[in-house]
Amino acid sequence: MTMMSRNHLSQAFRAAVPIMLGYVAIGIPCGILCDSIGLNALQVFLLSALFYSGAGQFMIPNMYLTSAPVASIIASVSLVNTRQVLYAASFAPECTTSSKRLAFFFAATVTDESYGVSIAKFREGDWSVGRALAVNLFSQSSWALSNVVGVIIGSLVDIPLQIAAFAMTSIFICLLFTQRPTPANIVAAVSAAVGVYVCKLIGLGGAAILLGAIGGVVVAMAVSWVRARVRGGADGQDAEASSLDGADVEGDAVAGGAEGEGEGRLRGDGGER
Amino acid sequence: MAWSEFWVILVSCGITILACRVLPLFLLKGRELPDAAKRALNLIPPAAFAALVANDILNPGMFSQGLWPAGAVIVAAVVVIVVAIKSRSLLWSAISGVASYAILLAL
Repeated sequence: MTMMSRNHLSQAFRAAVPIMLGYVAIGIPCGILCDSIGLNALQVFLLSALFYSGAGQFMIPNMYLTSAPVASIIASVSLVNTRQVLYAASFAPECTTSSKRLAFFFAATVTDESYGVSIAKFREGDWSVGRALAVNLFSQSSWALSNVVGVIIGSLVDIPLQIAAFAMTSIFICLLFTQRPTPANIVAAVSAAVGVYVCKLIGLGGAAILLGAIGGVVVAMAVSWVRARVRGGADGQDAEASSLDGADVEGDAVAGGAEGEGEGRLRGDGGER
Repeated sequence: MAWSEFWVILVSCGITILACRVLPLFLLKGRELPDAAKRALNLIPPAAFAALVANDILNPGMFSQGLWPAGAVIVAAVVVIVVAIKSRSLLWSAISGVASYAILLAL
């Protein structure tokens, strides 16, 4: 990192520009919504600097607004962010030759969008963990700055809470419907929604999101296990495994914790070069 | 949000996301994740986002005071679904959601 040339830095910047623009577009609304639940500019900056998760930074105000218990907020946000494990695992081979400290800071600042860009760049060759880290830091700066600008805008204009809350719902709807419509994903989503409703019905509203999401994953795993059994063992299993790898490579339809639009564009970029 | 509450949320969520981002790099050392783990991790985003949406728009007894204005949320959500699928843009989804919900509430 210390030896990073100007040339490498400008390469990284060019790779980061699409992400940075996407983060402006979605960071400002995120800041506005955080302001609407009473977070100040410093708090929003700290979240962006130390936590740095688009989906997570929408979830916190959203769940806080529905007066979910703090433990439930933490557990649900953490669950959503476990997808980072997949990204980290896929970068492990690239990081074996770089210093531990560099690898740490790179991995610590990966997002859905920068994952997509870095995977494409590493595959093209002539890319390094140092430049990938620079991409992450450019993106994070844009995200943090846009969030703070959003808080300032939010404090100037008065947005009714009910409307602001629905903006967050809309973000989650977009994140949901840009997932790949595989049978397993559909089963997971439908059973999670049913699970939430049932939790509310029996008075477990505070843990509805967490329990619903876990229920969805469990049901979908069980269904695919049963389907593989019924189809007759090994063949079905193999097909499933390879389609999964395919999903991985694409950067997956995780559809940007933060920016669906950006991801689509980025993926296009990677393909053309 | 009070600072005490804020710190608890920031530090806890910060630690768990850092662990997810960094630990696999040093623990796996290039080995692959087990297939079942990958499959489960891939299922979490659709399940979690569906849970978040359902939590926002579904409530037992939501129609006890009649279909409207409770139905406005559902109609606005359908608008957002269409926009999300067509545009794949978070920004356009948020804008169309806010606009359609505001208009439906004003009707």
